[in-house]
Amino acid sequence: MAGYSRPTDLAAALSLLAERRPVILAGGTDHFPARVAAGPAEDILDITALGGLRAIERRGDHLWVPCLATWADLGAANLPAGLEALTQAAAQIGGVQIQNTATLCGNLCNASPAADGIPPLLALDAEVELASLAGRRRMSLDAFLLGPRQTARRPEEMLLGLHIPLPVAPSRSVFAKLGARRYLVISIVMLALVAEFGADGMISRARVAVGACGPRARRLPALEAALAGARPDPALLRRAHLAPLLPIDDMRGTAAYRLDAVATLLRRALAGMVPA
Amino acid sequence: MSETPLTQASAHLRHGANIGQSLTRHEGALKVTGQARYAADHHPAGMLHAVLAVSSIARGRVIALDVAAAKAHPGVVDVMTPAHKPPLAQDPDEKTHPFMFRLDVLQNDRVRYPNQPIAVVIAETLEAATEGAVLLAPRYETEPARTDFPAGAHFTPALVGVADPAEAHHGDVEAGLAGAARRLEAIYETPAQYHNPMEPHGIVAAWEGDTLFIDTPSQGLAMAQARIAGLFGIPPAAVHIRSPYIGGGFGSKGVFSGPQVLGIMAARLVGRPVKLVLRRGQMFGPVGHRAPTRQSFRLGADNAGALTAIGHHTVTASSQHDDFFEPAGGVSHTLYASPAIATTYEAVRLDTGTPLFMRAPGKAAGSIALESAIDEMAHACAMDPLAFRLKNYAEVEPMSGKPFSSKALRACYAQGAERFGWAKRPLAPRQMRDAAGMLVGWGMGTATFPALMFQAQARAVLRADGTGVVETGAQDMGQGAWTALGQIAADSLALDPDRVEFRAGSSDLPDAGIAGGSAHTATAGMAIHGAGADVIARLAELAMGDERSPLHGAGNAGVIARAGRLFRRDDESRSESYVAILARAGIPAIEGHGKSATDPAAQAAYAMHAHGAVFAEVTVDPDLGQLRVTRLVGAFAAGRIINPRMVQSQYYGGMVWGLSFALHEQAVIDPRSGRPMNANLGEYHVPVNADLPSIEAILVEEHDAHVNALGIKGVGEIGITGTAGAIANAVWHATGMRARRFPITLDKLIGPQDN
Ligand SMILES: Cc1cc2nc3c(=O)[nH]c(=O)nc-3n(C[C@H](O)[C@H](O)[C@H](O)COP(=O)(O)OP(=O)(O)OC[C@H]3O[C@@H](n4cnc5c(N)ncnc54)[C@H](O)[C@@H]3O)c2cc1C
Repeated sequence: MAGYSRPTDLAAALSLLAERRPVILAGGTDHFPARVAAGPAEDILDITALGGLRAIERRGDHLWVPCLATWADLGAANLPAGLEALTQAAAQIGGVQIQNTATLCGNLCNASPAADGIPPLLALDAEVELASLAGRRRMSLDAFLLGPRQTARRPEEMLLGLHIPLPVAPSRSVFAKLGARRYLVISIVMLALVAEFGADGMISRARVAVGACGPRARRLPALEAALAGARPDPALLRRAHLAPLLPIDDMRGTAAYRLDAVATLLRRALAGMVPA
Repeated sequence: MSETPLTQASAHLRHGANIGQSLTRHEGALKVTGQARYAADHHPAGMLHAVLAVSSIARGRVIALDVAAAKAHPGVVDVMTPAHKPPLAQDPDEKTHPFMFRLDVLQNDRVRYPNQPIAVVIAETLEAATEGAVLLAPRYETEPARTDFPAGAHFTPALVGVADPAEAHHGDVEAGLAGAARRLEAIYETPAQYHNPMEPHGIVAAWEGDTLFIDTPSQGLAMAQARIAGLFGIPPAAVHIRSPYIGGGFGSKGVFSGPQVLGIMAARLVGRPVKLVLRRGQMFGPVGHRAPTRQSFRLGADNAGALTAIGHHTVTASSQHDDFFEPAGGVSHTLYASPAIATTYEAVRLDTGTPLFMRAPGKAAGSIALESAIDEMAHACAMDPLAFRLKNYAEVEPMSGKPFSSKALRACYAQGAERFGWAKRPLAPRQMRDAAGMLVGWGMGTATFPALMFQAQARAVLRADGTGVVETGAQDMGQGAWTALGQIAADSLALDPDRVEFRAGSSDLPDAGIAGGSAHTATAGMAIHGAGADVIARLAELAMGDERSPLHGAGNAGVIARAGRLFRRDDESRSESYVAILARAGIPAIEGHGKSATDPAAQAAYAMHAHGAVFAEVTVDPDLGQLRVTRLVGAFAAGRIINPRMVQSQYYGGMVWGLSFALHEQAVIDPRSGRPMNANLGEYHVPVNADLPSIEAILVEEHDAHVNALGIKGVGEIGITGTAGAIANAVWHATGMRARRFPITLDKLIGPQDN
């Protein structure tokens, strides 16, 4: 018989992980919809009672988002200029009930190609911190995401939280999500644009990530390079900048429509960006 | 105050003032406090949980089920399979009347569509039953799924809808087209849609010997009772169904479904009460859907914009094993005047569950196509779409030549257009933008739905204390039957509503007909009205025949009933209370009965339909194709309005479903497996609240002396018609792009126009 444990203490959780390699359960908003017809019996490690892993904090040069922080927590956190994309994403994931329950870390570990949390965190160069009995390790989100529903997490590890670098230069960021209805909708495409500005009002550094256009979300290095040193100008966008994107045709939209929509959303993001 | 005037000729002459009041929902407080008990809320002692195992293939046979593994799971009590099930008294594939559909209740190992029940696991807990169902790990002999629509092999169905001919002609369409100054040929496609009421189908069944007690949502209690009685070989009176509240049905709870029967079989098998509730994904198969259509229009118009021909050819689909053909052509029979009209059908068979009545069956799919075609023709004639519709206004029903029993459609057009501001609409598309640069478009559609009546019965009792009880097995699926029929009940006895107890929602009560076809208020209402009038007539006889009554000898002048008293019609100073009349006669109660049915003479003489006009505004993002409906104004005329508040809600709901039809709903079928790929509410989209614009519904006054004595038409389904087409037409007006394949999704408004 499979077991269900809900420890209050991290060490206990990590020993359980080491011993039985249970499935980790956070908000459950990805977990349960994937099991409506019940899968085979599985051990569950419910992490929602773990202490001290909920509060979002500034820690030195970064923001610490622990594994039990929900999208609603993020939306309510008073984030500094430059992290607007996160606040915007927090308001557009699911509906309010989902935002109250679902965690950022669950969104990343589930690693859906259509996860809305990934592009902003990828663009912000977030790092993940993994914990196991053997210790902790940190890696970039980019390295963590291996492919659709695949991450670099080992079965005996849990994701402890995220480190999001705080902006060092005056920055702005924006998140855009396109769906076929207003809420509760799987994105057709979504993207995040982060720009740091120099004193001259020029972009000193840009980071762009696009999701739902391939097996996992992608940064657009050529576009980032083209934006560096320029004003935020929609005319800078070239079709070739979108080369890393490999969208497919599916019931939410065609590949051609997706590329077109990404280009439109990027142009609008640039046009709407007021230098910081 | 309520009154029922009585003459010896008829008690059905005028109606009192409490009809027409916007009473709030009778059961509203129960619902918002969670006290209204829906079927699956009932947990009789000793109840077990049953979970369906359903097929993951579209066609073939189940060759193995690991029953041993399921039975070995702790808590599992039994596993019902084709080899292990209680016997039925009737073949579930037998059909003896047009409302009877073949059921899949484990009669054999055949799979004829995805999500067909193939076994039922019965356990002490829902969890154990759910896991037991997974452990069955079915193996199949799979045959290729037949999903090709509209390709497939075509045939002409014998009948469409319930019993409409598959071919109907009036005049000569070819001649009308040949002589036309303008011709339009266009093909519109609508997808398969699933009802998806909030409350899934479920049942709690308990046998006591050969008597059956069930809680289950049903839009037709007497029909369900008869179906169950036939299948289990017991008298209908031995089947007791409670269905006081239904969490939506939209037609899917009209005929008793296979899974509901399986719940009863499971209870019989294990000899304990059993609860069985479908999961959302299991709603995409055994409980009906709307079939896809491909509708080809050929319209002709003369130089003045008068239609010369309407050719409407529908290709639709049924299941491989049963017949229901979406009657999309019906709207073309009734809406626009034309000397020549032809509606024809072809069909294909798919490996799906059998399609059924869904939200304005035929009318919804037909309306979005017809209203689009009419809009295209208006444009071809360089006419305003409203002017074009008025030019082709049908003064008599075009197909039959019958006069309308009433038709306030001109007033609907005028009042709706006025409120919407239609007069300012530029003729050409792509002319309007909002402050954010979005394209803005205005479109309209005509709404129509037949005024139907079924058969019903009711009983009314007036008690010595001057209170009343009125009973009929009516079904409230959220539309407000408890409230509106309760109002008719009070009125029929000329008592205030708080003096009358209205009982409904049980098969032990007189048959109230079905809550469907937008006919429940008319049908059950007329039976109630008759029952109350019967009571009052008996009471009046008692009083008028009694020398001690001030009403003695009223004779031909007759009496009038009002607020618990009878008054002499020609001298209202002479009156007597119900209580006094009954007390003197020493009678504890008077019982009356009423029946309702369509009047064949009126049906033969008149065409009976409700009408409406819907105006829509949309905004379209010119670069993304993102589309929002920003305003909907509907004006509807549907005869007598019993409760304006409930009726307005029905119109709003219908208009929301119209928006859903135009922009959201579609089942996407995987051509390889034949399975619906979006069998969940995450991906089978209906609008969320934030998608809904400002909606207005205007109640246009209409008096109908022919539909029934109460003058009631139906309001439940008309709102979806007209609205979907109005939105599609507004999208064209915004963009200049004509979407002919529904729903209209973002990508259809961008890039190469192959839609
Ligand atoms: C109605 C609805 C709407 C939704 N809308 C959106 C949307 O708009 N955008 C969007 O991106 N997503 C959406 N989702 C998906 C989901 O809500 C999000 O991905 C959410 O962030 C998942 O978080 P959770 O805490 O619920 O994760 P869970 O469901 O608890 O877990 C998800 C996965 O991550 C693993 N996991 C969770 N936490 C950890 C951890 N700390 N360490 C290791 N593994 C872990 C779990 O084992 C599981 O595999 C929606 C879901 C629903 C049901």
